[in-house]
Amino acid sequence: MSSPAETLVFLREVRLFKDIAEPELAALGASLRERPLKRGQVLFREGEVGEEMFIVLRGTIVISKPVTGRVEQVLARIGPGDFFGEMSLFDRSPRSATIQADADATLLVLDREAMRRLTELSPRAAAAFFYALVQVFIERLRASGDLVAEVTRWGLEATGLDMDSR
Amino acid sequence: MNEADTSSTPPRRAKLELLVRHDSDEGFDVRQVGSATAFVQSRPQRVPAESWELAEMPSRMAGQPSYFLKNTTTDRFLLLTAPEKFLWEQMDGQTSMQDIATAYVLRYGAFDFDIIPALMRKLQRAQLLTLTPTSRLRKALARNRRRPLVKAIEAGLTALERINISSRNVQRVFAAMYRFGGFLLFTPIGVVACLLLAGAGLVAGVKLWREGGDIVAGFGGHALQGVLMVKLLFFLTVAAHQIVHGLALIHYRRRVREFGFTFLHGFVPTFYVDVTDIFMTSRRARVVTAVSGAVVHLVLGSAWFLVALFSPLGSFIQAFAAASGMIQWQAFVVALYPFCFIEMDGYHVLVDLLGVPTLKQEAMSWAGSLLRRGASWRIGRQEALFAFYVVLSTLSVAAFVAFNVMLIVHARS
Repeated sequence: MSSPAETLVFLREVRLFKDIAEPELAALGASLRERPLKRGQVLFREGEVGEEMFIVLRGTIVISKPVTGRVEQVLARIGPGDFFGEMSLFDRSPRSATIQADADATLLVLDREAMRRLTELSPRAAAAFFYALVQVFIERLRASGDLVAEVTRWGLEATGLDMDSR
Repeated sequence: MNEADTSSTPPRRAKLELLVRHDSDEGFDVRQVGSATAFVQSRPQRVPAESWELAEMPSRMAGQPSYFLKNTTTDRFLLLTAPEKFLWEQMDGQTSMQDIATAYVLRYGAFDFDIIPALMRKLQRAQLLTLTPTSRLRKALARNRRRPLVKAIEAGLTALERINISSRNVQRVFAAMYRFGGFLLFTPIGVVACLLLAGAGLVAGVKLWREGGDIVAGFGGHALQGVLMVKLLFFLTVAAHQIVHGLALIHYRRRVREFGFTFLHGFVPTFYVDVTDIFMTSRRARVVTAVSGAVVHLVLGSAWFLVALFSPLGSFIQAFAAASGMIQWQAFVVALYPFCFIEMDGYHVLVDLLGVPTLKQEAMSWAGSLLRRGASWRIGRQEALFAFYVVLSTLSVAAFVAFNVMLIVHARS
């Protein structure tokens, strides 16, 4: 379990919170709770309901999407300072991917209530948070496009399918 | 790097990162699968037989004939060369790209790195290939997955298939084994020693056979358990068989790419060594490599027979040694005897000598069509070879089973 001071030092390094002033960040830090995850343990699966986002404090997390049977496509592997689950935080939609720990991990849980408090307490801090979030969204959108292209190229190479001369 | 350099650099092969969950616990493995690996392991499958026709176009020149391949659904034609026709015949959905390439090398003695991808492109354009490669057994299991028993079998097979203890970094180990004594196996002295031991073993075996009743009595009413123990010990010697194959590769200055243990087809435990590098050498080297592994069983069998001969009559040791010698010699015969529907060392030597790398598959296919449709009874040289293979293999397997049943019945009585 991290002390509030340690949590604050960590949050300072998180990209999402880099433009939030110290007092607001301390208040936000106080509203986060820790969630340990053992190696191999699944946090949630695609399709499950959830209203929280998670920030990786320690360890490595694998984000995957079921493909067939026991096989899943790895979408990303993230570490300390990265976050996930934000989509369900905002639109309450079912989880879009499955999350599991690749190594023993600790997560910080940011729920809807903490989000509401941040917005009410400091609209400026909330704006900084949302601006950083949008920047990360854009990067992830680009990365998803690249992944689709890579998967398509893999399929063509693996099957020997030749589209050039069709 | 300038633009010209960039354009000449071959593109990096795509890789997928896949997460595979364990059946037994919450764990998982993350594996990187390169597209090149997937391509080599893929099993191209031609469209069903009713969707294509093949006709030979005799060559007016002295060269090989060409073939018209017609997609009867789309009415598209392809012109295939004889090597392309050979490759087309391999694309049965069961044979991997790697095995197809191996078969090609055995048939034509060389490998054209472009021919398979080029043919695949041609076939795909003509819609003559399907993209649903998987084994029939796994397909059938998947269809009936709702039944608990089938699901359990499928899970068991999957778990066993995952067991593969192997190393690709074995060249140095095999080279060291060769340097520190392995080379002797491939010298005239080694060959003569093996022959002498085999001769002595044969004499011992004949003498033991005459006293067979007294010898098997040594198991003392536990014949079945005794035979099972013998089989277990024999299984370990399969590793030695594979190691000697690897030493043969070193002898011919080729590379041992992999050595390991796995469950063949998901349920047959076996050791294996990758000897594919030997295909690039002479036929003599291929034959020596194939035969050398089997000689392990001849040597061990002879040694066991000698142990049995000099053991007290009717003792457990004598019974155990005699049974071990018998099973080793059986393994020697099975490994080198090509007519048993199993693609063992002798089969590979036979198809190499005949230049028909897919003899078994072609013979089985011919026999199947003969039984199903009453195919033409006009027997050419090729059909005669197929008939000879199928008939002799059937008789051999029946004789082998009968011999083993007789041994067990004899032992129990």
